[in-house]
Amino acid sequence: MKITQHSSENTLTLSLDGELDASSSVLLDSELNAPEILNYTKVLIDCQRLNYISSAGLGVFISHLQRFQDANVKLVFFNMQEKVHNVFEILGLDSLLTIVPSQAEAAAV
Amino acid sequence: MPFDRKLSSFMLPLALLSWVGLLVCSLLYAHPQQIGNTSFPGWPMLVAQAVFAAAVFLHERAQPDRLRGLDFVGLLRRLLLGPGLLATVCVGLHLLEDLFRQQTPGISSVVSTVAYTINVGLFILFLARTNYSWRSLVLFRSSARLRRQWGWFEALLGITLLVRLVSWSPPQAVLIGVLVFLGGFGAYLSSNQKWVAYLNRRQKLETVLLQLGIIVAMGVFVGYFLRTAHTVRLITPAPQQAFLLLNAFFAAFYAFMGLMVTFFNLPTAGVFEQKREEILSLQRLTQLIQKSQTAEEVYRMLFDSAIQTVEADAAWLEADNSSTDYRGQHYRIAPEQATAVCQLLAEYNLGQIEYLNNDLPNSTGFRSLNLPYGSLIVMPLRSSKRQYGALYMLKEQRQGFDRENLSILQTFTSQTVLSIENLQLMQASIQNQLVQEELKIASSVQDSLIPKDLPIDNWFEISSHALAAKEVGGDFYDFLHLPGRRLAVLIGDVSGKGITAAFHVAQMKGIFHALMQENPLARNEREKFPVPSKFMAQANNALARCLEKAAFITASLYIIDYEHGGFVFARAGHCHTLYYHSIKEEVSYFHTAGLGLGIIRNDTYEKHIKNQFYDYNPGDVMVIYTDGIVEARGEGGEEYGEDRLLQMLERTYYLDATAIKERILSDLEEFSRGQPIHDDQTLLVIKFKDSEPEARL
Repeated sequence: MKITQHSSENTLTLSLDGELDASSSVLLDSELNAPEILNYTKVLIDCQRLNYISSAGLGVFISHLQRFQDANVKLVFFNMQEKVHNVFEILGLDSLLTIVPSQAEAAAV
Repeated sequence: MPFDRKLSSFMLPLALLSWVGLLVCSLLYAHPQQIGNTSFPGWPMLVAQAVFAAAVFLHERAQPDRLRGLDFVGLLRRLLLGPGLLATVCVGLHLLEDLFRQQTPGISSVVSTVAYTINVGLFILFLARTNYSWRSLVLFRSSARLRRQWGWFEALLGITLLVRLVSWSPPQAVLIGVLVFLGGFGAYLSSNQKWVAYLNRRQKLETVLLQLGIIVAMGVFVGYFLRTAHTVRLITPAPQQAFLLLNAFFAAFYAFMGLMVTFFNLPTAGVFEQKREEILSLQRLTQLIQKSQTAEEVYRMLFDSAIQTVEADAAWLEADNSSTDYRGQHYRIAPEQATAVCQLLAEYNLGQIEYLNNDLPNSTGFRSLNLPYGSLIVMPLRSSKRQYGALYMLKEQRQGFDRENLSILQTFTSQTVLSIENLQLMQASIQNQLVQEELKIASSVQDSLIPKDLPIDNWFEISSHALAAKEVGGDFYDFLHLPGRRLAVLIGDVSGKGITAAFHVAQMKGIFHALMQENPLARNEREKFPVPSKFMAQANNALARCLEKAAFITASLYIIDYEHGGFVFARAGHCHTLYYHSIKEEVSYFHTAGLGLGIIRNDTYEKHIKNQFYDYNPGDVMVIYTDGIVEARGEGGEEYGEDRLLQMLERTYYLDATAIKERILSDLEEFSRGQPIHDDQTLLVIKFKDSEPEARL
């Protein structure tokens, strides 16, 4: 798993590359845990190269959901592969999270 | 060697017997008038004495080594206070003899003969004991070569015992030559005084006194025999016997050499003792370190032993170890001063490397620190993998440390590092064992939570399969019969693994059984038991408070009413239900919305979960499962997937429940052959049957 950060004025984009399983989710958790992340108004997750997400990976997003909401930070997923989207959908997260097809739409949210 | 032992047990009686024989022969020989003036031959006396000497020596030879461990002083003391005291008996007998000579000259000759014979016996005893004590010392930590030489020495001395027994006597020159040779051999063996090095100063003083005592005892005997040599009419004055002569010479010479070596070793005893102390403290350190349980104990032990051994005036230890909070300690030096020295060393690029400086006042940098020390040793604690800190030792005088100090500290530190790494390995293995133990508990808990008996009824067939992955996962399922021919089926998956997952499974089961109780306040039949969506909302509420932040649970609850031929279910983030509709002859998934449990932890959850009602027909098949089935990986890493599962049901729907399950499982196995199982796999197949199966009979 590789996570690359790209930040502009109010937006932080995290690009996930690889498989998000129990071990790599620790890495993501520490990224999302950083206090300064709440200074952004929007955190975009680029899922183009995300091939797999385990329940531990989902757990990381779920555990930060409330914190982001409380801080008024929007969490937006985009470029999600079909099978990964399916995992989000089965768990019912598609009704809870903002998942959009492209980066442009994500920026517009 | 049983033969040797048997032989040696004969030796004592033989010695006694031969001594009595010797006494009788000596008396008869010295007083021929007693047997009618016929002269008694000399040879029985010689034979008796030779047999006696041989028996005593062989008996002593067969005794176990008298040296116990390194107790040299004890050996000498036992020798002096045992056989050594026989010399006083010898003196006493001689005085008695003198008394008789003055009082009753008539029988004084008999008394002299008896006394002489007794003394010969005692002297031989003393010599045997002494020489075999010396054997223990000569052969102490000896080489095989030396042991062979000793064997030759013994054998040659044994041969000299026989010399006097034959009537032929060799020319004087040869005899002297042999004697000189054997004497030289004995003197050569006497140079083996290795044991002296193992004595400390006090023991050496004691040894000198004991050896003097032994030499005096020897002198008393020799004096006696010299004195009596010409006064008694005896055929075998002791000094003439090569065997006794050589033994006495060896015994005395070894004692004398030992005395000299010990005596001249006295001045250097201090240095030896210091080295010995170093070795002993290394031994102590090794033993203590092996007993210690923590890295801190090991560090502390190293520090104390090092200061004691090199007699440092000040010292400190820096520990750099992630496995302990211990950061080092100081001895007679303030931490600030230690830091200043470290900074200075770092400036010279000497930080934490092995370093010896015996002339600190010569260094300008060190002079500026204004510390009263002349010598410094830095000894890093390093293994091939990493550094565990460094040890700094200071002495006030210049040239305070030598190379030996450096090497002993090296030994100390490498021992310490070894122990620290051993401890770390041990902790890791304990940790590993704990995890294994935890997994074992978790898997047995999980196993006990899976229902062993499936519900049986005429209206449906159920077949189940549960396979736990190597690491315990959190799959679960359960059944509950409700009144009015209804059956509740729960299936789910707790995120995470191990004992916490097993714990949440147990919790989920508890919630299931608690919520599925009949509500006595219900106004109608429908409200007696919660509908699945209500159940999920209540379960979510119950779990909200105890599930850790990143954990969630997916579940589906089905309530099958087989009286009315219908079911209702809710899906909380769990895998979609696969279904064969016999009327439409079609296989499809129920695509219903529903959020997993524990994701939203407030009352809004209820909005995210829906009920799905369906009236089933006989022949319909329901397949419920966990993600371990559809996410099983194939050879190329691809997933088994919902589509392949659907196709399998299309091909097998007409079979009975167990056969459908078996077909799906064998297809799954084929798909993921050779791949490790990452997640639990649970599969339930329910086949609805004719509403009146009896009619078929």
